[in-house]
Amino acid sequence: MAPSKLEQGHGRVVLHNDGNANVFSEMSATYPLKLLSPQLPSPDVSVVYMLSYGGGLVGGDRVQLNVEVYDGARLALLSQGSTKVFKARPGQRLSTRSKLHSVTTQRLTVRVAPESALFLLPDPVTCFRAAKYEQVQTLHLCKDSSAVLLDWITSGRKSLGEEWAFSQYFSLNEVWIEGKRVARDAMLLEERDVLSGPLTPRTLAESLAPYSCYATLIMYGPLLEDTMRHLTAAYGAITVFKQHAPPPLLWSLSPICEGRGCVVRLAAKETEHVKNWIGSALKQLESILGVDVYRRAFS
Amino acid sequence: MDNDHEAYILLLLSDSNLPTGSFVASAGLESYVTHGFFSSASPSSTSSTADKMGYTVNFLRDSLSTYARSALPFVLDAHRAVEDALRDANASTGNAMDCAMTRVRELDELYETMTLNHIARRASRTQGVALLTLFSKGFVKPRLSQHLEASADSSADIRAASLMNRLKLLVRREETHGHLPICWGVLTAALGLSAERSQYLHLFLQARSLLSSSVRLNTIGPYAAQQLLLHAVRPLVDAEMSRCKHLGTGHTEATDGAGEDMSDEDVVRGPAMTWPLGEILAARHDLQHSRIFNS
Repeated sequence: MAPSKLEQGHGRVVLHNDGNANVFSEMSATYPLKLLSPQLPSPDVSVVYMLSYGGGLVGGDRVQLNVEVYDGARLALLSQGSTKVFKARPGQRLSTRSKLHSVTTQRLTVRVAPESALFLLPDPVTCFRAAKYEQVQTLHLCKDSSAVLLDWITSGRKSLGEEWAFSQYFSLNEVWIEGKRVARDAMLLEERDVLSGPLTPRTLAESLAPYSCYATLIMYGPLLEDTMRHLTAAYGAITVFKQHAPPPLLWSLSPICEGRGCVVRLAAKETEHVKNWIGSALKQLESILGVDVYRRAFS
Repeated sequence: MDNDHEAYILLLLSDSNLPTGSFVASAGLESYVTHGFFSSASPSSTSSTADKMGYTVNFLRDSLSTYARSALPFVLDAHRAVEDALRDANASTGNAMDCAMTRVRELDELYETMTLNHIARRASRTQGVALLTLFSKGFVKPRLSQHLEASADSSADIRAASLMNRLKLLVRREETHGHLPICWGVLTAALGLSAERSQYLHLFLQARSLLSSSVRLNTIGPYAAQQLLLHAVRPLVDAEMSRCKHLGTGHTEATDGAGEDMSDEDVVRGPAMTWPLGEILAARHDLQHSRIFNS
């Protein structure tokens, strides 16, 4: 199952379809990354859970996962519960090496062959107080591959009074189609340094209020056509009259690649609200991936 | 370039009557107001003038911050590319110009792929193209043989004008997009402004344009806008300059293999959006029942 030796925190998934059913020709990972694939009733849909031991990542953890999907196979990448990012362990800073690595990083590179599909539907990332997190997700698609990428973040552990209290969150999502980059979504959320000068500090929490969950959803390809058509129509039908307070949930939709793909962004006061919204926006995945996989992703 | 020349160009470019198309752009402010972000937490009281100034500064800070972080690297790199080509007065000038144009197109394409909000993309293109038109119609030397000597053009001036023309042609043929930060970098380099002055002025004009939108939206009055321009915008522009003026796009032929090969530092230091709320609100601009701006 693991022909080449993997570096720490690396993982590799290669999914084929032999004409009858999906076959993982490779699935391996090393600590702290763990991959799990449950048995499913449908032969050409597979699920891989991306897990990290202990349910979270500590400052300095680096995870890198490479995924390839071939032969018209459909793969959903899920997580179990939100990715919790802890701050760097005190004492770790003593060594220069771990100081360089005090940022927790996750990198995911996916290649999707023609007519194959990838659905990246993890739970949100939750960065704890003072955590530093960086994520790079790259999708290499073909013209008629399909993909959904969900990237979302919550404001922290609300029960502990954390509201956008981490120190840095950086997320980069790239979509390449036939070797050409069509979208590069780079988002940096960080607590700004205290300025010299007359301006009082403006916190990250103030800039992002009143919302405590932000999501980006990128969709592309023939399998998503109906979903995108439906969402585009719903978006176009919105008329905003002057409001007296920010609404509990806001969303936007922008087309990319002449409408063959789109970028949806969402903000809401409650994470649950975002989850329900996305679940209903992607309701069609019930038929694309099966009810079982849909439920795994959205309930 | 001497200081007097630079000062004079600054005066010209900061003229609020300059036809740059910025008067129809609110960069999401109109949508921000419509969506209820100008209302105080207590629903009973109507917002006072001071409150409204406060909300305006909230928007100004978040908006300028994300714009600086996403656009200044492009201004810098586009400016550098053109400045280098114009400085190169050797025989290989044609070649240097071709290199500069290739680089400018790469930057323009990268900005297009990074600007994922269709309203911002539209506004950026419109304003970028307006700058190119401004140069070709407003800044080239007039034919006035009775008053101006025709031979006084330096070779750098001629090369600058030809570069601007080439870019304008490419945009007209739809071979490149003509985004605002790229066109601004090219224009200011062609006019001989330093990169730092160019970036500073770009942010200042962006802030002033937001304040004039604010006045047109009737959220603050013209005097309040002046107060903010003097007391809030300056420290704000200074702060954003010190955070972002050294950042480049990190985009060269060599690093074009996608983020996966780049080191952590390289990835985080590149251009990035820093205010997702502003993105959503700006992208919702066209959904407003009534609106006076185009963005």
